[in-house]
Amino acid sequence: MVDRDTHEPLMSAHTLKAFDEDLDQLRALISEMGGLAEHQIRESMRCLTQRDVEGARKVVADDAKIDELDRQTEQRAIQTIALRAPMAGDLRDVVAALKISTVVERIGDYAKNIARRVEQLETAPAIEPLSLMPEMARIATEMVHDVLNAFVERDAETALRVARRDQAVDDFYNSIFRTLLTHMMEDSHHIGHATQLLFVAKHLERIGDHATNIAEMVYYAATGGMMADKLERDDTV
Amino acid sequence: MNDTTTATAADTSAAPALPKMRAENVNVFYGDKQAIKDVSIEIFDDKVTAFIGPSGCGKSTFLRTLNRMNDTIPSARVEGLIELDGEDIHAPAMDVVQLRARVGMVFQKPNPFPKSIYENIAYGPRIHGLTSSKSDMDAIVESSLRRAGLWDEVKDRLDESGTALSGGQQQRLCIARAIAVDPEVILMDEPCSALDPIATAKIEELIHELRGRYAIAIVTHNMQQAARVSQRTAFFHLGNLVEYGETGQIFTNPTQQRTQDYITGRYG
Amino acid sequence: MSLFVAAMIILVLAAAAAFTTRTRVSGLRRGGERLHSLPGYHGIYVFLWSAVPALLLLAIWAIVQGGLVEQAVLASPAGQALPDFDLQRDAILSEARAIAGGYQSSGFYPQSEALAPVHAAARAHYGWMGAGVAFTAFLVGLLFAMRRTGAAFRARTGVERWMMVVLVGASMIAIFTTLGIVLSLMFETLLFFQKVNPVEFLFGTQWSPQTAIRADQAGSSGAFGSVPLFWGTIFIGAIIAMIVAIPLGLMSAIFLTQYAHARVRAWLKPILEILAGVPTVVYGYFAALTVAPAIRDLGVTLGIPASSESALAAGLVMGIMIIPFVSSMADDSIAAVPQAMNDGSLALGATRSETIKKVIFPAALPGIVGGILLAVSRAIGETMIVVMAAGLAANLTANPFASVTTVTVQIVQLLTGDQEFDSAKTLAAFALGLVLFFITLLLNLYALRVVRKYREAYE
Repeated sequence: MVDRDTHEPLMSAHTLKAFDEDLDQLRALISEMGGLAEHQIRESMRCLTQRDVEGARKVVADDAKIDELDRQTEQRAIQTIALRAPMAGDLRDVVAALKISTVVERIGDYAKNIARRVEQLETAPAIEPLSLMPEMARIATEMVHDVLNAFVERDAETALRVARRDQAVDDFYNSIFRTLLTHMMEDSHHIGHATQLLFVAKHLERIGDHATNIAEMVYYAATGGMMADKLERDDTV
Repeated sequence: MNDTTTATAADTSAAPALPKMRAENVNVFYGDKQAIKDVSIEIFDDKVTAFIGPSGCGKSTFLRTLNRMNDTIPSARVEGLIELDGEDIHAPAMDVVQLRARVGMVFQKPNPFPKSIYENIAYGPRIHGLTSSKSDMDAIVESSLRRAGLWDEVKDRLDESGTALSGGQQQRLCIARAIAVDPEVILMDEPCSALDPIATAKIEELIHELRGRYAIAIVTHNMQQAARVSQRTAFFHLGNLVEYGETGQIFTNPTQQRTQDYITGRYG
Repeated sequence: MSLFVAAMIILVLAAAAAFTTRTRVSGLRRGGERLHSLPGYHGIYVFLWSAVPALLLLAIWAIVQGGLVEQAVLASPAGQALPDFDLQRDAILSEARAIAGGYQSSGFYPQSEALAPVHAAARAHYGWMGAGVAFTAFLVGLLFAMRRTGAAFRARTGVERWMMVVLVGASMIAIFTTLGIVLSLMFETLLFFQKVNPVEFLFGTQWSPQTAIRADQAGSSGAFGSVPLFWGTIFIGAIIAMIVAIPLGLMSAIFLTQYAHARVRAWLKPILEILAGVPTVVYGYFAALTVAPAIRDLGVTLGIPASSESALAAGLVMGIMIIPFVSSMADDSIAAVPQAMNDGSLALGATRSETIKKVIFPAALPGIVGGILLAVSRAIGETMIVVMAAGLAANLTANPFASVTTVTVQIVQLLTGDQEFDSAKTLAAFALGLVLFFITLLLNLYALRVVRKYREAYE
């Protein structure tokens, strides 16, 4: 009997090789989308810290690429379901890919939203929480990166670790929230900029949440079990 | 049968759903070759149970042990307990002819007798003396054909030969023929493997209709079919029962690697 | 030249030509040309074209030569001097032939010795002529074939066409033989019907084929009503024999296919089939010496006047002989009923014998009927048993203890012994043979039709 709790070994090839190729292409698409989304987050944060309005505009424009990949992934997944009638692990993989691509598209939208706020923040004075944000963004990006790797490699363990890291992002958010609130109370001139920054932090926090959602999908695809059950079990132990 | 098996039988009777048929530690041999290894399984009244697995895995052999059709093969030998409503089907008190009237069977290739459609249906009831008059027989023929969804197609030509029907109609005729003796269990051995997709769909629909009235066990090579028609699925491999569970679970999340490999097309 | 020697020479030459052709064509291939056909095919092609037409001509010549030689002999001065009386002239001619051939050194008739050299000369003359014709055909065929062989020539296709010709020829021989038999029967029968009214022959109930040599002898006008004979044939072959053979044959077939263990079947079936291999003459004396007396004794015990040659004795033994025919046909057709029918019936809760009675037997019936019809036609054509055990009296009776006679017995009676070949008595044999032939032909055709219909039953 296969132990559910450790991730399954990479499965042997299908008798029908073309089926493997379809699944590989689907994973490659998700991987490419993920890479693009990570890049978008990093770029938007770089533009934010370096006040690079031009760069930010490019980030906004590049979001269309992610949308296009999302469309391609959806098509490929539906075609695979129609032509290969995937079962069990394969079916979970294909459905996960379908859902993950939507979520990654959302992540791309958050990166775009961050980039949009760069213009408003161009003239803002340097305020302290801005120094926390790159670190928060780094963790969120890492989560996205790791969870998509976990999907490609059917690695339930990594997915679990990613989900556990969401707490760190939430903690960052709470701390940034409190700091910004203090700033606003100290000086009402800061309210405009601080609100913008608060949104950025919120976006990063949402990215973390989405990465966690993906982790749940990856966990189900790889093991057939629910991550919530697993976390609950681990917590009670 | 020894005492321990009867004891377990008593234990399971306490469970909420009483199985219609129950096999326990069944082994089947053809001469020296073991075709079925220690299979235990329960078949329920209101469920369709599908047996899947690669060719030669023993699923058809096992199906045929359930109504003792293997008795017709001289070299076949069956060990272990098989019960129908708690009665041992191999017990001396169990008449094999009566058993087969209670556990009907539909075969891979439609096998209507080269008689008229009417006579095909009337064959079983006549043998078992289920009717005393022509009008009773007419009623049985009509209701069996209706239940098999064939009545409207053949009501005007009951005198024509059953072999003149199309493949799908022949198979529904065979199902009607099995229904006519009012069985409790219907075993189907790859009933659609010789049929086109539309005829197959009609048989599958018929299986849905019949569920609840009869316990149904179906052997199929077509996993999609197992997924479509059954509530419970048993996966056989090399004579072993590898996995047995709810169909939904087997097809989305099998617990056994061998099941997973088979249903996702990674077998062999 | 003897035609046989000519044939041998042609064969050797054709083989040599074939061999050289093969070598030549192989040489072409070594020379780098792409051949359409393997060299062997070229060789065979040359052989067929050179040998077959020549040999066929020789064969035809061999048939014609006898007549030509005879004509030449008769046309010679010595031949002109022969007496006109046919029998004597034929005797002298055949003696001359024997002396000329060297089988006989001197003749009974003085003329024959004079005729012998003429005969020998004529034979030699026509022999050379035949050989010449054959050699010409050989050369023509050889040249034709040799000219065609070459790298691009499709010898393989040509040989294939020859194969078809040979196969068609082989099957034609069988067909023409049958046709010849029918024609000769028909010819003699027409002669018979010139002497005896066909209606009387076909519907008359009196059979006593005694024609007197002198017109004033008693019973001068023979009676040729064949009804008693055909009745006897049917009574023995189609009724008594079948009463024995059908149940026994069918039941043994059912036992062998349905009940017998494979090992038992492997033993019993060949043993049963040995019955078909027993020479009919053995059945004949078994019937005459063992069964017939037993039946006579039985008849006596029962108070029925029984003849020592009875329809029953012949019919019983014939029935035994026919069992393998019925059982093996029934066996085949029962075995041809798909196992699925059997399973389908058993799965409905039918017992084995219910299944056999209601499903398998009806499904196999056309095949079984076909087998029975073939067995009947075999039985009514059967001769030896009835000759020895059925008797000669042409009785129109349904009493199985009485002696009856059959068509085949009467044919034997009419044609054995010294007979004239133009009397109504001997010609009657041909008429009987023709009618019997048509009856068995019709039975066979009908049986084949039944069997063919049955083949489509499950598909």
